[in-house]
Amino acid sequence: MLAISVMNGLVMGVIYALAALGVSLVVGIMNVINFAHGELYILAGYFSFLFASVLGLPVAPAMALAVALVFLFGLLIERLLIRPTYGNDMYSLILTFILSIVLQNAFLLIFGPYPNKPPLWVRGASDIFGLFSYGNQRLAALLSGAVLIAAVFLLIQKTWFGRIVRATSQDRGMAEWNGVNTTRLNMLSFGLGCALAAAAGVILSPVFPVTPTAGVPIALTAFVVVVLGGMGSLWGCVVGGLLLGLVENLGAAFVSSGYKNVFGFIILILVLLIRPAGLFGRAKL
Amino acid sequence: MNRKRTGIAIGLVLALAFCGAAAAQDTVKIGVVGPRTGPAAATGAAFDEGIKLAVDYVNGKGGVLGKKLEVAFEDTAGAPDKAASGFERLVTRDKVVMVLGESHSSSALAQIEVANRLKVPFVVVEAWADEITAKNYRYVFRAGPSNSGVVNQTIAQWVKAETFKRAYVIAENTDWGIGIGKLTENALAKAGIPYESMITERNSQDHYVELTKIKAFKPDVVLAYIYGVGLHYFVAQAGETGVSPKAVVLDGAGPPSLWPDYWKNVGDYGDLECFVSSMHEKVELTPLAKYFREAYTKKFGKAPTDYKSRSIFDGILIAADAINRAKATDAEKLVEALEKTNLETTRGTAKFGLTKGGPEYHQWMPPMLVIQWQNKQQVVLYPTQAATGKLKR
Amino acid sequence: MISSSKWIGPAVLAGMCLLPLPLGIYPQHVLIVSLFYVMMAASWNLLAGYTGQVSFGHAAMAGIGAYTSGILAAKAGVNPWVGVAAGTLLAALLGLGLGALCLKMGGIYLSLTTLAFSQILHIIIVNEYEVTRGTMGLQVPGLTAEYSKLTYYYILLAATVLVLFILYRMIHSNLGLSFRAVQNDETAARAVGVRVLHLRVLAFTVASAMAGFAGGLYGHYLLLITPEIPSLDLQFYVLAMTVIGGMGSFVGPIVGAFAINILAEKIRDYGEYHVLVFGLIALVVARFAPEGLTGVWRSLGRRRTP
Repeated sequence: MLAISVMNGLVMGVIYALAALGVSLVVGIMNVINFAHGELYILAGYFSFLFASVLGLPVAPAMALAVALVFLFGLLIERLLIRPTYGNDMYSLILTFILSIVLQNAFLLIFGPYPNKPPLWVRGASDIFGLFSYGNQRLAALLSGAVLIAAVFLLIQKTWFGRIVRATSQDRGMAEWNGVNTTRLNMLSFGLGCALAAAAGVILSPVFPVTPTAGVPIALTAFVVVVLGGMGSLWGCVVGGLLLGLVENLGAAFVSSGYKNVFGFIILILVLLIRPAGLFGRAKL
Repeated sequence: MNRKRTGIAIGLVLALAFCGAAAAQDTVKIGVVGPRTGPAAATGAAFDEGIKLAVDYVNGKGGVLGKKLEVAFEDTAGAPDKAASGFERLVTRDKVVMVLGESHSSSALAQIEVANRLKVPFVVVEAWADEITAKNYRYVFRAGPSNSGVVNQTIAQWVKAETFKRAYVIAENTDWGIGIGKLTENALAKAGIPYESMITERNSQDHYVELTKIKAFKPDVVLAYIYGVGLHYFVAQAGETGVSPKAVVLDGAGPPSLWPDYWKNVGDYGDLECFVSSMHEKVELTPLAKYFREAYTKKFGKAPTDYKSRSIFDGILIAADAINRAKATDAEKLVEALEKTNLETTRGTAKFGLTKGGPEYHQWMPPMLVIQWQNKQQVVLYPTQAATGKLKR
Repeated sequence: MISSSKWIGPAVLAGMCLLPLPLGIYPQHVLIVSLFYVMMAASWNLLAGYTGQVSFGHAAMAGIGAYTSGILAAKAGVNPWVGVAAGTLLAALLGLGLGALCLKMGGIYLSLTTLAFSQILHIIIVNEYEVTRGTMGLQVPGLTAEYSKLTYYYILLAATVLVLFILYRMIHSNLGLSFRAVQNDETAARAVGVRVLHLRVLAFTVASAMAGFAGGLYGHYLLLITPEIPSLDLQFYVLAMTVIGGMGSFVGPIVGAFAINILAEKIRDYGEYHVLVFGLIALVVARFAPEGLTGVWRSLGRRRTP
């Protein structure tokens, strides 16, 4: 029981971290919370299903195409909805909240209420050290999620794009003064944030098929992770994501499975009460 | 100035909105309620097919009261609030003379209150909770399975006949799930079969933790009462965690195992799963059942699978028959006619119980089967006299 | 023109009193639901439109009102009117608590905290089904012994008038000026001696009480309480109505609530697309006409009468 709960916690934690990284990147640079983050996760799942199951593309290109399309969609959202509200973070919140409902209902209209599931990468289940039997697709999700997180860290720590991102999220004025085109940076990082949601979506949708409203819990969890880790902190996302995944699954196993999702929200309120800057955040509001 | 304009604007909008049209009546309209969206949206699609066939059938035989029969189908989304308001909309806006259908017990329990308040006959076809008829409402009938009927006549008998040693009962958190779970526990206790039980969230996508608990109990049969795509996750993950095939999993609702997405969602883990149903091509009780199969295949170009398409077909036949015998669309006369129903349907002869005091009042229980998927073929296991094969494990 | 504003209120009220009489049961039902949403949107507007606090917990407060009153009535046989009062009080207390909790944070943090509150409430209601009956829905008694749409209409109309009257007095008092000051420039408001934090908490408490009151009455009208009342979907309707009608304007939410509810009935004839349609309308309005329909109307009027 303990072993399988920890394992579940790790899988979910990696996915939470991946989804939260996208939110955190956007918050750090633009101070915008994208309420429709979960719907972009779902959109990628639908694309992946569409390309692989309906059009018959191989799994990997289908997934790459899905992420790329959601990236472009993210650029479009930034251009049409976010940019005009820049500086009024409450208004972007309202706009993206409405967008999330619009997308949910558009999904319902286009794809119907049934869950849609892209093909599995691997079939069957494996025996883990004789402790428990575990679905192979879940193991694959854990592995690819971890690889992607590492790639995001490389991007942010080692490339010039990453340097600009870090500079801007630390001091926007200074970055602009040093010749950073923040309009283009906003657009790119918003798109990247959406692409990270999409990546989480294509990885997890073979395990948990996508439905029009299944993005809501993903987005809410990502927000909790971002606040827990500290707004704009990337390490905070990873630690926060894993922590939340473990707490939820251990809580479900040993306290109550019905209250699985309540633990995250209680943590959120506690963090806001005690340490609003989060685990790794700088103390600014 | 502003406020004046706004006042006028509100007035205009309101006036425009209520210029509704009242259509001339050369049809008799009945209402159907059922989930077209939500976790069991596929039932809405099954109802749709059954309605089309039934309307063709009834109108082909001269309609009702010399007029054509028309059906208005309202979505309930599997949510009691939407179900109650949808029911009320059918009666107050669409002016239907009778309502039938529903496939979620919690929704039906909300609707029977509306039926009783508005005094409209309501024939439930596929919501199983005992309370629906046990409340003994004058306007409420059920031409379909009840929880106690399914458990005591079919599921518990099958568990005994297969001589299972240890059972696990997992039920969703709805009136149907909690009710049928409790009845199953009572039946198992009475039969002296050791069991454990748990309640689960019907929309949950992840059952690993619950399955780990189930595995620790080492059951040889798992009675799963999850109605909706949630069952698909449960069956697939039962396979992944190794609960099945050691234990046989029974889908205690039935249709989820027959939905088009079943095999896609559960993969190979779907084979050897058992489910309850009231329809199988080898077990056709009346000539009408044969008619239904042929008409269905002709109209939709595939064989009927989800038995709920046939349940609503029967329901509409019962309604049309009652309207014709009542020679009126008046609620009181319709109730009297329904009480005298004696009609051959696809599932046998429909007749409503008239003894007050229990769930048998205004209830007709059609026979149910236990079927197993064996190499993607449906094999009837129970009742034994209708069996087309033996349980494989 | 000034004199016309004196009779416009009573005239609209008189019109609203007569409106349902020639209508059938179903249009009456649509009006009753609209009145519930007028109360919800108008009180949410006090938060979002006047003090800049975008709360996602307003539907949850309606849920507190509905479930408090409903559980008291269904399980303990308490008179529904007493229950509604209790629900209003509890919502006010929780509003006070949440408002105080969010004192130090503003903006996004407040939105996330109210969101968390609403989710926790939702999960509790679904899980404690032995008390709340979870998603199965709790049957509750009506407000009057005899069920009549017309009676409910007048009860909700009276409640709406009460809520709007309180809001109107608040907005058009010194308090209202301070509210606006807080929203426009917090530091400046503080400098002129406006007690920013107290104002915010006061607005939060009053708005929550109103949502609890509206939710309590609505539950006893529906006779069935489900977690759909404290849901993000209902929160979306309230937000969309306010945004479409005009945030930060007194009549905005009233226009928005009626327009959206009536539009929903029209769209329903063509299928279940109404949520998508409102969402798109709300998106376009929020993006291109942030002052909503009343804002558009006002600017049209300004253009015509220079």
